[in-house]
Amino acid sequence: MFDDNKSGNCIKFRAKIIFGIILFLSAVLAFNLYRLQIGSAEKYVLLSNKNRIRLLPILPRRGRIMTADGKVIAGNMCKYKLVMEQCNEKKFNENIDLLRQCIYLNDEDDFRIARLRKKRTSFVVIKDDLSWEEYSKLSMILFRLNGVSVENIHARHYPMPLGFGHVVGHISKSGGSLQIPVGKTGVEAIFDDRLAGKAGNLQIEVNAVGKKVRIIDSQEPTAGNDIVISIDSQLQKYIYDLLSVEKAAAAVVLDISNGEVVAMVSIPDFDPNIISNQMTQSQWQSIVNDPLFPLINRVVGCSYPPGSIFKIVVAFAALNEKIISPMDKIFCSGGVKLDDHVFHCWNRWGHGNINLCDALRLSCDCYFFEVAKKLGIDVIVKYAKKLGFGTETGIEFPNENIGLLPSKKWKFLRYGTSWKPYETMITGIGQGALLATLLQSAVMLGKLCSGNYNFAPTLIKGRKKNIAMAPIDGKCIEIIKNALYQVCISGTAAGSCRTDYGILGKTSSSQVRKIKPSEIGMDQKLLPWKLRDHAFFIGCAPFKTPRYVVAVFVEHGGGGSVAAAPVARKIFDRIMEK
Amino acid sequence: MKRSFPNESKILLALLFFLLLISILGQYSASGGLWEGQALRHIMRIFLGIALAAYIFFTDFRFWNNYAYLLYAFVLVSLAIANLAGITKLGAQRWIDLYFFAFQPSEFMKLTIIFALARYYSMLSFIETMEFKSHIFPIFFVLLPALLIFKQPDLGTAALIICTGAGIIFLAGFPPKIFAAIIGSCLLLCPLGWFFLHDYQRNRILTFVDPDRDSLGAGYHILQSKIAVGSGRLWGRGFLQGTQSKLNFLPEKNTDFIFTTIAEEFGFAGSLTVLFLFILICYYFFWVASIFRNKFTKLLCYGLGMLLFSHVFVNIAMAIGLLPVVGIPLPFLSYGGSSMITFMISCGLLMSSLKQKKSGIV
Repeated sequence: MFDDNKSGNCIKFRAKIIFGIILFLSAVLAFNLYRLQIGSAEKYVLLSNKNRIRLLPILPRRGRIMTADGKVIAGNMCKYKLVMEQCNEKKFNENIDLLRQCIYLNDEDDFRIARLRKKRTSFVVIKDDLSWEEYSKLSMILFRLNGVSVENIHARHYPMPLGFGHVVGHISKSGGSLQIPVGKTGVEAIFDDRLAGKAGNLQIEVNAVGKKVRIIDSQEPTAGNDIVISIDSQLQKYIYDLLSVEKAAAAVVLDISNGEVVAMVSIPDFDPNIISNQMTQSQWQSIVNDPLFPLINRVVGCSYPPGSIFKIVVAFAALNEKIISPMDKIFCSGGVKLDDHVFHCWNRWGHGNINLCDALRLSCDCYFFEVAKKLGIDVIVKYAKKLGFGTETGIEFPNENIGLLPSKKWKFLRYGTSWKPYETMITGIGQGALLATLLQSAVMLGKLCSGNYNFAPTLIKGRKKNIAMAPIDGKCIEIIKNALYQVCISGTAAGSCRTDYGILGKTSSSQVRKIKPSEIGMDQKLLPWKLRDHAFFIGCAPFKTPRYVVAVFVEHGGGGSVAAAPVARKIFDRIMEK
Repeated sequence: MKRSFPNESKILLALLFFLLLISILGQYSASGGLWEGQALRHIMRIFLGIALAAYIFFTDFRFWNNYAYLLYAFVLVSLAIANLAGITKLGAQRWIDLYFFAFQPSEFMKLTIIFALARYYSMLSFIETMEFKSHIFPIFFVLLPALLIFKQPDLGTAALIICTGAGIIFLAGFPPKIFAAIIGSCLLLCPLGWFFLHDYQRNRILTFVDPDRDSLGAGYHILQSKIAVGSGRLWGRGFLQGTQSKLNFLPEKNTDFIFTTIAEEFGFAGSLTVLFLFILICYYFFWVASIFRNKFTKLLCYGLGMLLFSHVFVNIAMAIGLLPVVGIPLPFLSYGGSSMITFMISCGLLMSSLKQKKSGIV
């Protein structure tokens, strides 16, 4: 074996250096241990004891949500919660037996109590919501029960559950130890930070099994702020009653002067009281599995082919670009032929020679096929975007559906193919890939009537939004307005919308499938519900200075003039009464 | 047999006896004063370790010299396999499943790297060790497994292997100026290393710098551990009286944070005793190393001593918040088979070398 004296000396010397480092590092450890265990021991002993102090949250009162006419649509209700302190098994069973004499506990309650007992929280909630009868019975024997108390809690309560569900939204208990309610949808979610308030807390000392020894300190909670929204509760209720005969429908009313949403109804809706408080599994399943999706707000959360409503946009674009003059006439023979395929007008017999006003009045498809061809898809997209299609309307709802505004670029990115001329044509009558929410359609009319491209809807009452003016050419607006007035005097909506204050409006029946030749002219009522056309009506009134936009949508309602326009008329009448 | 048992070994046995006694008490207390489960399994592992140490005690010491490279190569390949196809436990690929026993190649790499380095340097003359170029191989010996372990990811073990390896290379005569230059530049390049870390590793370092940053999340371990150690005061809360560990405020109290339980229950006196016992064992390793003239045995003993101390330092420093939380066990005290076996083997090797020096084999 190799041995070398010099090498041995070198290693010996260096080993001394390393052992020196080891001693130094040990001294560092020893010094720090001294600092922790002797120097600042008092601090850590205190902290160690603090580990026995629990913070119990005191929930704040959540702010109320009120309508413009002062009705509370989301408030708080006092509930009695029965809680018991942790104690040993024998005492616990004695207490429970006594309690059973005056309150009813089902299997679900028993299961929950057993679980909470295992968790060793300092309190066990026996029952969340005591009835008045239970409470009064209980007060008689409360003195015999040790460690049992009744607590007052604020439970979220919606006094007008029907028709307000989508606007007001619902809450749910947040996870974690703080069971602070959090707004999940609607106004509850939008203004959650203002409504929530700040939780206070109760510092209690607990022993090793988590039983309360005494209260050390408490901090009061700060209540949340109330919110006033722009909805008119009476109008909302009225519209809800009108629409609730339908399977699925929606309506929205906007105030043109300030963009405030006066009413917003979506059918079917849900009872926020059920969703926000204790809900059983079967209740939740029935809501989630409903084929009509009651949780979806059909005004902002769902987009449809707008159909003939979109003709307003095409007409406006053509006038603004001076592609046509109001007097130019186009011949409608009942269809337009393109590459061996005939695109039919809804009126197979044709409208004959027709100008812009009549084309809107009678909702002639051929006229708009030709105008769309002349405009080209790029110009249509440009104006549609300016009037709010394919973008967010600016309403406060989170996750607003923005619909779909098809363009050459979109087609290429989505399908990898080029844009076809026929697609421009069917986009011109609001069909094809085009999708829009009801609110987008209403906002479009709001923009035209207010003469401002920046018109935007809002849910808050009196929110002075300093909207910059982006003026729209007044001449074009007048022509469009006049045509829309004619729609309600002698056009597609004449049957239901002829009034003395004057409504400007447009009906729309958008197809949800390709029509077979055998079904031409068939009564929509004979078709299965899922295959019927969507019915739309958007309009504003009064004629001289439009103040309110009303948009009505009936899902698979058949024709716009039959299903949607009469409802809109009733809404207008109700608004004008005031 | 009695005659061949070296007198010097008795010191080590006495030190080990005290340490193992403390370890059993610590495990018993950390398991909540119960023998069932971890405390009992810990005792079984001690006996398994003693059996292994005894086996190594009777093995011909020349075996380690002859098979040093082969062992190293075998563990290195196992490491690569563990990286590719190992069991993922607690989010890191460290284990190979042998059907009857899941083992951690990185744990055995700690030993075999020492064998390989000692073997390499035992073949060099003093003149050769003064040249930089003869140290290039050893550097790769160290960096290769360290990189594999770092990738698992196990930052702590990789760092320990680099420290121990660097220690041996330094001892063997690495040019001191270059050594200082490398350490200096490593310190300067440290900030760059940040970009190679996993998110959870960055988090640990951030919470180490500022434990209040996330006092319920990642900073929780550090804070609770410090509270436990600090509240021990001079004599501790007494055996089985620690509230931190009893009320489950401490995480990993049986494994990486076992020192915390001991410090809480036996106070400053207890933690100093443990630290002192470890320093004595280290000193013993160094002393044994110094009496050998044979370079392989000498470097091996120094290496084992440095390995032991680096574990002790990192683990205790972690428990009292001086270093970020890295999963390094406390030798002999932490609950865990692989670590117990590693250090029992170290002791077996040491006693075996002493015995065979007497009989003139080494």
